[in-house]
Amino acid sequence: MGMYHDARIPGRDFLAPGARPEVPPLPWERPARDIICHAYADPVFDNDILPLTYTNSRWLAFILEVPKSDLEKIVPPPLKVEDTKVEFWYVDHNHTMLGPYYEMGVTIACSYTDENGRKWLGGYYPYMYLSQDSAIFAGREPFGFPKKKASIRILEHGGGFDRGELPPETRPGKYFSVYMERRGYLIHTATGYYDMKPVPPPIFYGKTEWGRFNMKLTTSPDLKKTEWALTYLHSLWQGEHRFQLRANTIATASPDAIRTFYLQATPFDNMGEYLKNAKLLGLIAFNFDLIIPPAATVWTKTVTRTDDDIKKHLLYSKAYQYTLRHDFPIPRYP
Amino acid sequence: MVHAVVVPKVVTEGKKRGEIPPMPLERDEKSQFNYGVCDPLWDIDTLPLTYNDSRWIAIIIECRMEDLTKIVPKPLEVVDNRVEWWFVRHKYTMLGPYYEMGVTIPCRYKDPIAGKEYYGGYYPYMYLTGSAATDAGRVLGFPKKCAYIIFHEHGGDVRQPDHKKDFFTCLIARNGYVINSVTGMYDDAVKASDIAPIFYGKKEWGRFNLKITSNSDLSKTVWELTYLPSEWEGKHRFQLKPETIRTASPDSIEWFGQGTPFDNMCAALPPRKILGAIAFTFDLIIPPAQVLWTQTYTRTPEEVAKACYATPYRYGMRQYFPKPTGE
Repeated sequence: MGMYHDARIPGRDFLAPGARPEVPPLPWERPARDIICHAYADPVFDNDILPLTYTNSRWLAFILEVPKSDLEKIVPPPLKVEDTKVEFWYVDHNHTMLGPYYEMGVTIACSYTDENGRKWLGGYYPYMYLSQDSAIFAGREPFGFPKKKASIRILEHGGGFDRGELPPETRPGKYFSVYMERRGYLIHTATGYYDMKPVPPPIFYGKTEWGRFNMKLTTSPDLKKTEWALTYLHSLWQGEHRFQLRANTIATASPDAIRTFYLQATPFDNMGEYLKNAKLLGLIAFNFDLIIPPAATVWTKTVTRTDDDIKKHLLYSKAYQYTLRHDFPIPRYP
Repeated sequence: MVHAVVVPKVVTEGKKRGEIPPMPLERDEKSQFNYGVCDPLWDIDTLPLTYNDSRWIAIIIECRMEDLTKIVPKPLEVVDNRVEWWFVRHKYTMLGPYYEMGVTIPCRYKDPIAGKEYYGGYYPYMYLTGSAATDAGRVLGFPKKCAYIIFHEHGGDVRQPDHKKDFFTCLIARNGYVINSVTGMYDDAVKASDIAPIFYGKKEWGRFNLKITSNSDLSKTVWELTYLPSEWEGKHRFQLKPETIRTASPDSIEWFGQGTPFDNMCAALPPRKILGAIAFTFDLIIPPAQVLWTQTYTRTPEEVAKACYATPYRYGMRQYFPKPTGE
């Protein structure tokens, strides 16, 4: 038998000369009340992600026009659709409290009017995909972001020579290519070049009264109760916009400069089905900084189930019989 | 210029055949239980959650009791220091195929009011390669993270079933660090019953999880100790196939483990002794879990701010690793 085991943790028990410890105290060395998710001994995200900030991420937003009747099919009540211009976006994150990852999502302009008559405005996310687990569960579990894991790539290149010394925001990048695949199916790809022609933005761009909505469903371990929570992130945080766009990094592509835009529904992901009547209006890309603070909960609903309800409404499959949705290439994260 | 949005035949036919369930917002609200609400990470076609012909390899190790009690939360008590350190290859499941890795520690919970004692394996660490299976587990309280995992058996005639192959390799890595690697040969030189953890084959031993969930403003965190009894509808949930058992003695096992900045499993549980490995094939059903115990912590906004460990926009060692590219 050969055994090599080193229990030391780099950045804590094994430090480079002159380096300071960077790994926070282990969960069992801290007050239990500071732990915000499981596992107790090694949470999937811990309190060193807070406050959750992002620096110099790169956003590529395709702007789509989608019939309101189609959007209403994917926006749950009590939210109401406010506009038909939809943001269909990719993000390349390199410096965040959750580490680096790729992201893709859809934002629909919505509103919620509460029992006091206050109208809340915000972008609602029906679909969201990420390439990294801690970021998925940090988004899902407290906040309600509807994140799934997918294989995502974002590339900007061409248009000049770069020997690698330039900061990311000044590197030449005339051409772009993005794609997202999940469970063996291509969900979306787009390629093209930036022609810098005007592109109409969604209604919520640059407006401080527009925050962000998420619908979080928390189901009990016995499946007898599901709590719905409509969460809201205000656009302002401590007097400043949470989302700081870097104006000198904006690039645009008109529909004619977008060479390919292919979106398809798959057995596992229905985005292509509900956006099938979308018209492409163009692409807006930019760099930004961001902070995501704790979210308010503005509406709740509780659904309960009896044992019979569970059998009737939740047990869709037959035990030990596997079909189309249970068979796909074995994931080997990352 | 090709701008196309497509609904392919696999979707239209899959719906007609009932293999793709209707979209949740088109169904009764009692059937909506996961999000995104229009396209959940996992849906009702996952239930009942069953597994067929999964392949399990358990490295049986002895740990120091003081190491185990550190990572097992109250109100659980550690009962024994023989620990199961396992890798699984799932082929046919309601969540699709995936690899899995975890640790199981024998524990007990005594209900302070009724006095009833519950025995079960508690999972301090668990890793998977698929996000839907990770989230489905987390709803029940399983402490799942995603990682790169391999469990492979080979050697001899490759057309033979897995249990006829003589060599194995297991690996788990995450965020640029190898956490653990175990390789070896099935020499069948130890008896499974001689090295098995205390809970093997005992129907009074279920499984514990501690689910910890916070609300959207972090002002409240709820702890729930969940329990899965070993039996479901009169049968053991876990059906081991005895003819598929293989074992490896300590002399036939090579072990590598290390603590990493992102995962403290090998830092917390250095094995004192490796007793051997047991591999087998099994079927499984995971029903809804009971909640035995709960505790709620509340925080004021000042306490939430105090709990934030990082400095805004300043990224350290734990914020840099190779960018994951997804599935």
